[in-house]
Amino acid sequence: MDRHKILRVVILMIFIILLSRAAYLQMARGDYYYELSEGNRISVRPINAPRGRIYDRRGEIIVSNRLTYNLYLMQNEIPPDRSAEEILNQLAELSSLAESRLVSNYNSAEPKSAIDPILLARHLSKEDMVIIAENKDILSGLLVKESSMRDYIYPAELVHTTGYIGEINEEELVSYNEAGYNYRGGDFVGKSGLEREYEFYLNGERGAEQIEVNSRGEKIKTIGIKKPEPGSDLILNIDFSLQSAVEKLLAENYQNLREKAEEDEDLSMPTGISAVVMDIDTGGILSSVSLPDYSLNLFAKGISSSDYQELVNDPLRPMLDRNIMTAVPPGSIFKLVTGTAAMEELGVRASTSFYDSNGTFSIPNWSRPFRNWNPVGEGKLDFVKAIARSNNVVFYELGYELYKEYNGDKLAEYARKYGLGSKTGIDLPSEKKGLVPDDQWKRKQLNTGWYPGDSVNLSIGQGSLLTTPVQIVSLISTIAADGLGYKPQIVNKIRNADGQIEKEFDPEINIDLRDQIDSSVFVAIKEGMHDVINKSYGTASRHFNDFPLTAAGKTGTAQTGGANHAWFGGFVPYDNPQIAVVVFIENGESSAFSVPIAREIMEYYFGFKNHHNNRKKIYYYQEEKANG
Amino acid sequence: MYWNKKFLRYLNFNVPFAVILLIIIGFVSISSAVEINQVDSGALRFLQKQAVSVVLGLLVVFILQAFDYKIFKEYAAVIYVSMLLMLTATIFLGQGVAGGAHWISIGAFNLQTSELSKIMLILVLAAVIDNNSDDMGYLKGMFLPSIIAFIPFVLVILQNDLGTALVLFFIYLVMLFAGGGNFKYMAAVFGGGFLLLVLIITAHVVLDTPLPFLKEYQLNRLIVFINPNIDPHGSGYNIIQSIIALGSGRTFGKGLFAGTQNQLNFLPEKHTDFIFSVIGEEFGFLGSAVVILLFLYLLWQFLNIAENARDRYGYLVVIGVMAMFLFHVLENIGMTMGIMPITGIPLPFISYGGTFMLTSLTAVAIVININLRKNKLMF
Repeated sequence: MDRHKILRVVILMIFIILLSRAAYLQMARGDYYYELSEGNRISVRPINAPRGRIYDRRGEIIVSNRLTYNLYLMQNEIPPDRSAEEILNQLAELSSLAESRLVSNYNSAEPKSAIDPILLARHLSKEDMVIIAENKDILSGLLVKESSMRDYIYPAELVHTTGYIGEINEEELVSYNEAGYNYRGGDFVGKSGLEREYEFYLNGERGAEQIEVNSRGEKIKTIGIKKPEPGSDLILNIDFSLQSAVEKLLAENYQNLREKAEEDEDLSMPTGISAVVMDIDTGGILSSVSLPDYSLNLFAKGISSSDYQELVNDPLRPMLDRNIMTAVPPGSIFKLVTGTAAMEELGVRASTSFYDSNGTFSIPNWSRPFRNWNPVGEGKLDFVKAIARSNNVVFYELGYELYKEYNGDKLAEYARKYGLGSKTGIDLPSEKKGLVPDDQWKRKQLNTGWYPGDSVNLSIGQGSLLTTPVQIVSLISTIAADGLGYKPQIVNKIRNADGQIEKEFDPEINIDLRDQIDSSVFVAIKEGMHDVINKSYGTASRHFNDFPLTAAGKTGTAQTGGANHAWFGGFVPYDNPQIAVVVFIENGESSAFSVPIAREIMEYYFGFKNHHNNRKKIYYYQEEKANG
Repeated sequence: MYWNKKFLRYLNFNVPFAVILLIIIGFVSISSAVEINQVDSGALRFLQKQAVSVVLGLLVVFILQAFDYKIFKEYAAVIYVSMLLMLTATIFLGQGVAGGAHWISIGAFNLQTSELSKIMLILVLAAVIDNNSDDMGYLKGMFLPSIIAFIPFVLVILQNDLGTALVLFFIYLVMLFAGGGNFKYMAAVFGGGFLLLVLIITAHVVLDTPLPFLKEYQLNRLIVFINPNIDPHGSGYNIIQSIIALGSGRTFGKGLFAGTQNQLNFLPEKHTDFIFSVIGEEFGFLGSAVVILLFLYLLWQFLNIAENARDRYGYLVVIGVMAMFLFHVLENIGMTMGIMPITGIPLPFISYGGTFMLTSLTAVAIVININLRKNKLMF
């Protein structure tokens, strides 16, 4: 036989083998495998994946997990002669679990198929676990499976940034699964903060054990195991020792200010306080605090609806991350923007001199004068000193000149160049974009045109202008870096369960004005900010006595209809800017209250003050309540 | 370049017919495996990429007909050197998944160089064996082809691509046999080698002796089909799920998109390596038999074309291509049925994967080229 014929024979034999094997599996054994696949004799037990943990920049663990036990009803492990109702009834009789709750969990579950487990109860007590194990024969079809729950090492710190978790809702279930993820009703997902922003990294993937069961619902053998994939860990830019110090500092100040306001009727009652510290070279957020807040422990096991209502209805709005969700006028901090526009567009120089004769500014043919905060005229000032003195009259004039030269939109254009009016893109959900008003906006919203008075008002950060603290920190940082602003970023990298870096967030440039604005502009503006703190006449100088470094900054007291908001934004060191700091006090009356807080934050950062006093902090929802 | 309209008269239409049918079956099964029936499954992306590969492959089929296949023989040395350079580059520059470096990125495409090496080896081996045909009955004639095959084999092993290495080895074995290699020597060397391998592995499993060449996980994948319980969490799980999928299709299948093993994601790598399990589950024995018989039909045509080739070089090339497809079919389908080790090599024309589709169609293009130029009198 020649070799070609031999090849033909061999090939024929190979194909006969393949065909016979297919016939054997699919025809001879087909019914057996069909039953297995249809789930008649298969049960799929869940293997839960722990959620990713959260670490600070130095590797200190902030959010971890602890073990808990869930109870499932395995539909295919219920013997044919028994019903689910009967088993639930017996379970309720034997254990401490309430029948109504078990039945409602059973009924509301929507298993995709007969092999899906139904979650009956979470966080089983030891006693109940023992009872279920001892009565295995009666309580067939029940499965106790380990799971993990959030363990907050510092339940009252970094609260808003971390965010809370809760049971997945219908809308999330649909959209997450359509996006290709594998969620089930009853799963816990991130609802706010990083927990929500990085949900798909933190969540991991549930595994499963596929088993064959006999007619009594007993496991015969394991058919296969799909390993769970634990969620990935977040490593933050947050410096937790600084964070803790700022938390404590803000809590103390908040309480003191409220107590003072209680005693002194002339003072307005502050309703919230926040601070954010950003690394100027990277945009990394080193600390972000917003008070009042709540204890994350309230949410670890699923929050009760009464607790939740209490939080939501609290007039002080503890659920609000004021750094990103509160947009109010920035007040005089906006003079930095007006100043930039004036130097670029009106040819104003650092030495250009102005004259404030009587503390007022009047638009020609306009009856009502605009007033400075200082009722007395401040005489002759140059541009830099006007910033240091935060002199309204000078900036009114600049705002009016800009209006005359270019129309009302010029100042808005510069505000937008600095990123105001749009989200900074910080990696947190629900960031507000604020508002930069202009002619078009005013026509649409208020049905009137832009008046010169609007420009004059806007020039000192009043009127309809709205900014968030994180936008202001970005503004300060951009000026400090001579026109280069990085996107504020909380998470530094994401590390998977094997310890490998899954994603690393490189600094991302958000704002780059270096080609648009002459560097001399930033030099002059920064000199003004320097003098705010370091010249005896500067508006913040008295709070910076004996400060060990040279800082720069700008105060802001924003008038609203009611009480004023207090602002301060600054950077340090002046010569080689490293961090930008913003402090915001909602209804805080005056920047006199925000400036000393910013000073202390700077001192903490550079180690002139001890970070580690003690971690205890006043928070407004006690931990005992969460556990009780 | 040489083209003659008369060539078309010689075309064996069975070949394009079987190939096109297999590609269509492939598109249908990939659609199901990537769950095109589900909202937002992103399935279209897979089909689009696959379609691009098919179109590119068909272009190759047409363009290649303008050349006489003898240029492959003339440029065998060039082909060989570029193959070695390409494989070496992949080891150093390549990117890959799961412990292997298989790709070189060219723009948006990841080129799996080891796939292309299969065809290149066939073209070079055919030339070398043809040139040595007088000595093939002796050791000295078998020596050069063996060295020629051995070097790329090692380079592919270094890429951790055991599957492709086995394909190269099988191509070499069949071509050596068809090219008149001395059967006694072959039986002694390869039979002996196989026994030695079995011995080494048995010793490793029983006595825990060290393992040359292979990593532990590769060995596990290789032997797990004998007893899936060796590794019930990993490869064993895949085999069990694949067998359940296939078997549960019974005679007529569960219907398109109705395969529970497939749609509930119990099947691993279902659009690539385990696509045959999807076919078996959803179309039953009927579907499996159609695919298996189509492959047999195609390879049978290859053998006919080989027999009628103009020269011995053409004969050997077609046999090489036949061997490549035979091994892929046997290994891939056998793996899904639990009678071959898991090596992760795709099912020709059906599995999702651009480079291999391109390789397969190029191989077909060469076979058709040889087919069209079969008449020796045309010169």
